[in-house]
Amino acid sequence: MLGVGVGGPVGSESEASSAAETRDRGARGGAGTFTGLTERETWAVITSVVGLGPVGFGALLRHFGSGRAILEAAGRPGAAALFVRVAADGPRRIFGDAVANLIVDVAGHPETVLEEIEAAGVTVVTLDDPAYPARLRAIEMPPHVLFVEGDVDVLAADRAVAVVGTRRATEAGRRTAARIGAAIATTGATVVSGLAVGIDGAAQAAVTAVGGRTVAVLGSGHARLYPRAHALLARSIIATGGAIVSEMPPSTRPTSGTFPRRNRLISGLADATIVVEAAEKSGALITAGWALEQGRECFMVPGPLDAPRSKGCLRWLRDYPDQARIVAGIPELIEDLALLGRSDRTGRPARPSLEAELIELGAGARAVATALVGGCGTLDELVAATGFQPAAALGALTLLEVRGLAASAYGRYRPAGRLMAEDLATPGPRRSTSREKAVPGAIEDP
Amino acid sequence: MLATLLSATLIGLDGRVIQVEVDVAGGLPGFTIVGLADTALQEARERVRGAIRNAGFSFPPRRITVNLAPAEERKSGASLDLAIALGILLGSEQVRAGPGRIALVGELSLGGEVRPVPGVLPMTAALARRRLRRVVVPASAVAEASLVDGIEVIGVASLGEAAEIIRRRPSRRAIVMPPRVDLVVDPSPGSSPGSSAATSGTVEGDTDGESVPRGFAGPDLAEVRGQLEARRALEVGLAGGHGLLLVGPPGSGKTLIARTIAGLLPPLGDREALAATVVASAAGEGPLRELVRRAPVRAPHHTLSYAAMVGGGPRLSPGEVTRADHGVLFLDELPEFSRDVLEALRQPLEDGRVSIARAGRATTFPAEFQLVAAMNPCPCGFAGTEDGGCRCTPGIPERYAGRVSGPFRDRIDLWVTMPKVRPAALVAGPDPESSAVVAVRIAAAREIQRERNLGRLNGRMSGRTLRAICGLTPATTRRAIDLAELEGLSGRGTERLLRVARTIADLAGMRTVEADHLEEAARYRSPVATLAIREAS
Repeated sequence: MLGVGVGGPVGSESEASSAAETRDRGARGGAGTFTGLTERETWAVITSVVGLGPVGFGALLRHFGSGRAILEAAGRPGAAALFVRVAADGPRRIFGDAVANLIVDVAGHPETVLEEIEAAGVTVVTLDDPAYPARLRAIEMPPHVLFVEGDVDVLAADRAVAVVGTRRATEAGRRTAARIGAAIATTGATVVSGLAVGIDGAAQAAVTAVGGRTVAVLGSGHARLYPRAHALLARSIIATGGAIVSEMPPSTRPTSGTFPRRNRLISGLADATIVVEAAEKSGALITAGWALEQGRECFMVPGPLDAPRSKGCLRWLRDYPDQARIVAGIPELIEDLALLGRSDRTGRPARPSLEAELIELGAGARAVATALVGGCGTLDELVAATGFQPAAALGALTLLEVRGLAASAYGRYRPAGRLMAEDLATPGPRRSTSREKAVPGAIEDP
Repeated sequence: MLATLLSATLIGLDGRVIQVEVDVAGGLPGFTIVGLADTALQEARERVRGAIRNAGFSFPPRRITVNLAPAEERKSGASLDLAIALGILLGSEQVRAGPGRIALVGELSLGGEVRPVPGVLPMTAALARRRLRRVVVPASAVAEASLVDGIEVIGVASLGEAAEIIRRRPSRRAIVMPPRVDLVVDPSPGSSPGSSAATSGTVEGDTDGESVPRGFAGPDLAEVRGQLEARRALEVGLAGGHGLLLVGPPGSGKTLIARTIAGLLPPLGDREALAATVVASAAGEGPLRELVRRAPVRAPHHTLSYAAMVGGGPRLSPGEVTRADHGVLFLDELPEFSRDVLEALRQPLEDGRVSIARAGRATTFPAEFQLVAAMNPCPCGFAGTEDGGCRCTPGIPERYAGRVSGPFRDRIDLWVTMPKVRPAALVAGPDPESSAVVAVRIAAAREIQRERNLGRLNGRMSGRTLRAICGLTPATTRRAIDLAELEGLSGRGTERLLRVARTIADLAGMRTVEADHLEEAARYRSPVATLAIREAS
């Protein structure tokens, strides 16, 4: 389908010479010659045009043979008209004058895009690169260019599972997402999600808390990280060996249209997609829809019949009985995902056990942590459970928060990080013995 | 015939002595007031005419000219009525004056009664500074005017009585007055602690050992069940004079807890009481019977105008920020206040005073108040409630919190989010502490601060002075740096942490700030900073 072969000569050649060429870019000749640019860079420059999707860029590549050829063509008179003719050479016109003119514009100033990429510190991975994740290559219309911050290899992990859900999550939903995320990560699989507030963030934070690797797919450019509240989470994703991926150039602003579009990448980067909480109309269901179209597995966490944020999951379980599978428990999920028996926890620095960490923080923090796990959500409840003075309980909460073991929002407190992830989902897969123990329903009433 | 009398008007918080000259001459009957009088003063003609007739005198059918000196100064208000009326009676020789200079302050009714006016205290003080020996004031304002030393105060209920006083010789007997104070009001912020004997920083001062000021009718802290975090933050906030913001859904008790503030503040010291009394008088809260000892708590509605907040109007009346001087300004539904009004708080929050300029006149009012504010967590009010009652889309609550802009963020040391109390907590659980118990701790902590900080509260400390007083040991310094990271490492965030920790240590009676004080202080940081770490581990 594509004019340029997978892993073709262009890819390997450009890898070797890209650094030198980047340095020489300033010395390149007059406009119209793009000798200073690697093929990979020309792709990044051209795909930065808003409105030029994989189909349009694919058509141009087929016609001109390479990104460099497209840019050189853009420098000649009548280029825009030529691009429009190429776009119209099919069953339907792919793009119009506006996009064609934008391609001509960007060809005149390729350095603006390249400087932006350099400033954001992201790696450009193209469809031609061997590093391009095979799972994503397999979907229909994969993006030609990915911008990756962090470890590119994590995209090609052996097993990857997407955990997604509503941004307006319930406490129980967040907890479920965190336990699922942590359980998947401890098998060595990668967790893919969208870095959104709510389910996505809870799952990814739990993965980083247990030292696992996770991939965040952005609905914006890297320099416009959204939501801003997750800037620190993004940092810890990189610190634990994960990656942050976007198909949009770093300066792209998030808009309502960019998120549904990135959802196909979340499902495409994973072998299976798990929806934890989704209302009747939820972006998470768009991701699940993509997963099915891409031939990936799809799991739904059920919930109470009258919970508005379980409606979407329940409807899918009823409407697509053959495709949507149910999450019947975390050990069961691990089994269903065929992740049983996998563990690559070797080679990672040993962390002190959660218990040891709590003991180190002192008796006060430990008592408050126990109360938090026990379901105390306000200072009133914590004081009643521990018998501490309010001031002492507040200080203990700070200690836990500094270690990432507690979080607060709107005057309520909850366990976070390892305190949430490792509470029930202890490292290692559970076998039948643990199955007999009371595994609480995926979503409990608070 | 010409009659000359003294009276006074109010401009800002100051009394201004006005010479009232009345000329009753031949010619066409008429009544003119000159000397930049405003509408209320021009209308004095009708009041005076009615009062003279109905008090049993006759209004002379002659050409009457009233001149108010100094002529270039704008004058307003009805406090000159009495002087103008007596000037006419003297000028038309219906009354003969006894010896001695005398000043008159008061508004007249058409029936000839003398009505109280705002600002009797500063007006009397201004007359006393001019070495006047006697002043006639409305009968109900005698106690208020008598707070001024060195001037004989005579109360009159009607124009007839006033005429009688004018006729009489000055009395020789010394008048014994209630405790007096030297009335030189110093509007500069950070006034010194006053004489230690009478400073009522402690509850035992001259309030007969009452921890709650007399006449306080608000709710008691014992009525607030649960909300331990907000109770504690309120205690810390009032102890150190820190800006406090309560965030919570409707019904979580924000307003109730704020209404207990008046019962928790220690009585004012002499100096502050004097300033508060002048403000209360000028604002027309009178007639006052004694020095205002109770710290003011002002709670303006969010629809109030810019001028009502900072002060202004024809007489440069003090606004809410000045009326809350040495007390608390409580702003309920903070984001609903207009942007202009909130921006206007910038200067008073920084400097403890407010400057206003109106039509060629400028003045500076004291405005050293403690800010206490309350708001919902989101436009619908229910963000963060367990039952998911919030209808706002993600990001909206954060934007709503963002309406609290820079100057506020910087000046609010304590942010507390109040969850909705579960019904169980309302009936069960131990009985909460009463206001009396908490007020004792607050007063003690304030006393410690006054002695150490030269009369200022921790909430007003910053920069080098803060670091000098905060008493960090090398070990706790390390801890403070760790915790400052929660605040995003900003300089302001770190200062806020130290300020609050200092107050917590003062409440505990400790000289040094310990790690647990810092840890508790870190809890009260802005939720905007919290948002950033919510998901992070």
